[in-house]
Amino acid sequence: MPGYDSKSIREEIEQAAQGINSAQELEEFKIKYLGRKGVLAQLTASIPQLAPAERAAFGKEINALKEKIALLVDEKQGAFADSARVSSKTPVDVTMPGIAQPVGRIHVLTQLIEEICDIFVCMGFLVMEGPEVESEYNNFTGLNIPLEHPSREAFDTFYLKRSPQDKERFLLRSQTSPVQVRAMKAYKPPLAVVAPGRVYRPDAVDASHSFMFHQIEGFMVDRGITFADLKGTLELFAKTVFGKDISMRFRPHFFPFTEPSAEVDISCIICKGKGCSVCGRKGWLEILGSGMIHPQVFRNVGYDPSRYTGFAFGMGVERIAMLRYGINDIRLFFENDARFLKEF
Amino acid sequence: MKVTYNWLKDFVDIAISPAALAEKLTMAGIEVKAVVENSGDSVFEIEVTSNRPDWLNIAGLAREVSAITGKKLKKQPAVPLPLSKTSRQEQYSILIEDKKDCPVYTARIIEGVRVAPSPAWLKERLEMVGCRSVNNIVDITNYVLFEIGEPLHAFDAERLQGSCVAVRRARPAEKLITIDGQERNLSPDILVIADGKKPVALAGIMGGKDTEVAAATATVLLEAAIFNPLTVRRGRQRLGIQSEASYRFERSIDWASVDAASLRACAMIIEIAGGKLVQSKRSGTLKRAPQAISLAVDKASRVLGTDITPRQARSMLASLGFGVKALGSKGLKVTAPSYRADVKEDVDLIEEIARINGYTKIPTTLPGFIVQEAAVAASDPVRPIKKILASLGLDEVITHSIVNRGILDGLWHGEGEVLELENPLNKEQDILRPTLVPSLLGCVAYNLRQKQERIAIFEIAKTYARSGARLSEEYMLAIALCGEKKIWHSGGCIQDKPGLLHLKGVIESLFARLGITGYKLTWNEQGSIALFQADSALLGTLRILEPALLERFEIKNRGVFVAELAVAELLRHRRTSRRFIPLPRYPAMNRDVSVTVKDSVPAGTLRDAIMRHGGSLLEEAEIIDFYTGKQIENGFKNITFSCRYRSAERTLTEEEVNPVHRAVTEALVREFQARIR
Repeated sequence: MPGYDSKSIREEIEQAAQGINSAQELEEFKIKYLGRKGVLAQLTASIPQLAPAERAAFGKEINALKEKIALLVDEKQGAFADSARVSSKTPVDVTMPGIAQPVGRIHVLTQLIEEICDIFVCMGFLVMEGPEVESEYNNFTGLNIPLEHPSREAFDTFYLKRSPQDKERFLLRSQTSPVQVRAMKAYKPPLAVVAPGRVYRPDAVDASHSFMFHQIEGFMVDRGITFADLKGTLELFAKTVFGKDISMRFRPHFFPFTEPSAEVDISCIICKGKGCSVCGRKGWLEILGSGMIHPQVFRNVGYDPSRYTGFAFGMGVERIAMLRYGINDIRLFFENDARFLKEF
Repeated sequence: MKVTYNWLKDFVDIAISPAALAEKLTMAGIEVKAVVENSGDSVFEIEVTSNRPDWLNIAGLAREVSAITGKKLKKQPAVPLPLSKTSRQEQYSILIEDKKDCPVYTARIIEGVRVAPSPAWLKERLEMVGCRSVNNIVDITNYVLFEIGEPLHAFDAERLQGSCVAVRRARPAEKLITIDGQERNLSPDILVIADGKKPVALAGIMGGKDTEVAAATATVLLEAAIFNPLTVRRGRQRLGIQSEASYRFERSIDWASVDAASLRACAMIIEIAGGKLVQSKRSGTLKRAPQAISLAVDKASRVLGTDITPRQARSMLASLGFGVKALGSKGLKVTAPSYRADVKEDVDLIEEIARINGYTKIPTTLPGFIVQEAAVAASDPVRPIKKILASLGLDEVITHSIVNRGILDGLWHGEGEVLELENPLNKEQDILRPTLVPSLLGCVAYNLRQKQERIAIFEIAKTYARSGARLSEEYMLAIALCGEKKIWHSGGCIQDKPGLLHLKGVIESLFARLGITGYKLTWNEQGSIALFQADSALLGTLRILEPALLERFEIKNRGVFVAELAVAELLRHRRTSRRFIPLPRYPAMNRDVSVTVKDSVPAGTLRDAIMRHGGSLLEEAEIIDFYTGKQIENGFKNITFSCRYRSAERTLTEEEVNPVHRAVTEALVREFQARIR
């Protein structure tokens, strides 16, 4: 290459390297010699102009220069890092926010539903869902709730406008219990199911009422399933969700689809049973309705009540979330304020 | 319902404190909500389940207290009530139009009463249980209602026209002013008590103003009857009234309490207000044959999971007033008392045994449950979708399924009809949503009002529609992006405004994780909605919402980008099985190509061409830079692709790659008039 003098270039490089006093200067140095249009690139580009005999030796020289530069850069880089460490004990302002992708959140109700279902799945239950638009039969009659009975009032219901084509009247399920009827009609015992989902009741909206909320229904049917099994299963569930140190009690209650029926209380998780405003000074919090499946429900789905017994339970997911996290207004779940969602 | 401790003590000995009694009642199924001290007595606020109307009175609760505390019930002294002579000539008669509406009606006439304020003790007891004192006669009927559970009504007999009391359906256009002063329009679905001329009371619901007992009343007709629970329920729903009487009639009345209550009230009236009983009339019968239920005691043990002996079962049932006889060595033949119409089969008796024995005595065990193979389903397929979206920085929301029809304008062009509610809570929430998009816009608007800068949300929920007689509900996934996103890098922070490509990116990432491939994104004919399609199935749509539409949701000066996808289609197209693809064994060789082309040439078309000409050696062509702006002429854009060449068999040499890459470059020039930079 005309005018090329490997020695003078080497000297020039060494001099330039000595003058480097900052990371920025080092960067400029790298660009000047190693960049796409840098000195070495130009030298390489000139190879074809050389006589074939000279090419190999010239290429070797260029490679040697490259190695030399790399060595110098390494040295300098180490020196800058060291001097930074020496001059200041905080190479990075660690009080600056970390750089990360924003993380989205699964809604707290979904998280809780998944957690609860998983507990039962561990015990052999399978998760099933049913439609939200239901027949009167599945929501009421099949569950031994007579059409005209005061007990129906507890399950006040939204009905759909009837179209002339409809053979029956449809409603929005007021509970997840119709999944019992559907599942038992579809499968023979032994059967254990948890069914989470949305339910609807025409309640005026306030801090503790919502016309839409979530329930989880569960049931187990087999030969020899007992009330003691119901107690054991729900105790295991409640202690997993609320902690091993809670106490529990089962109180007689009435549900048309179970007999005997029980309401399940846990000791107040706020006051540990001493009595506070959350538990209404009673020391107990109601979390579940449950009982042994009524023989009439078995007859309705074609199970033989003399062969099989089973238990069923149902719980309100919002209620459990409110108790567990101390949320005081049910409307927060459905307003979806980003700040609320981010808390869970 | 309210009851008092001392009132219960009239019927049963109680040796425990009010607090201890409250605890015992609660654990026996009568939930005591509160105990309040009041003038030396304790008032219990209790909740009675709809199956136990026999607990809606003091006597019935006293029976329960006796069973759970083991104390004997006190005998109530029978007061002899002979009929007295009267100067009155006419005899009252009772005419029941339909025995189904009213199986029995009794009327007792007491002459010569003096209506006055009640004695203090009577007033006080009524007030403790939340009943306002009116006068001695009315108070006595209420007192007996609370004590025995049979609602009574006292008419001023002088104000009744004629001497016939009829129980009949109201005639069309009949009216009645009830004791609360309201004029009620009646119809044939309402059962009334009528005198010779007109209705004088709403049967089982409320008396009439005109015939109520007032200061001048001297003769009282005391009604004690049983009305059909359904008739009362429909009547009071129709009229929108609820009373202590209707509450009890709806839940059905103990037949045996009709005469007991009537006689108790007569005795109290004569004692407190004077007068004499001169007539006692009845229509209908009071008897009902009790059903015997056989109970195998070992079944109780089997259902409860604890040992119950026949002896225990027998004594517990007897304590509750059941008739019990032995049936073989392990069986019982049980007859329910008249007030226990809820007991119909053996499990009802098992519940009584469990209740009286105490649920706490039942052990806790875990079921030895065997899983049935056929019923085991794969895990919830929707769950991973939610997890992927959250990992992409989106928050899951849950919004109401019931919405207002008006919000669909411009947002739903689906097929079929919307499902309407028959009884909406209000006009604002009258349909089941056929799309999730308006609900998400509501969420976006809400969060903008809360001054949230970046909103990236999704919901997976059902949408509902009708087509003909078919009602469908389908899980949809909706996504909405709005607001600015801060992006930090080592040099500082920049604001990134989301656009349709951000939305596409979310969906691409989701599809990649689900293994959905071979889909296309195109604009629809109107150019307003982009469609995701795979083998002619519509996976979903993307949309840039128009400002006018957003303004309806009070979203101003913001871009909102929404997508709605059919979850079933995503699941149908996802890859369900995975095979490991071996990692490349030989290094790749990268060659960049930077082209300037007309704006109208889609990047995807360029990439397709590169891939086509790159042949088997070209593994991937990735866009690594994009530029449009002042540096190049108007109407053109610059795109840089990084082409990755690789062979599975060997390390590629420049001699192999260069000609291929040259062919690629030349093809771009030839096919798209691209200028290579």
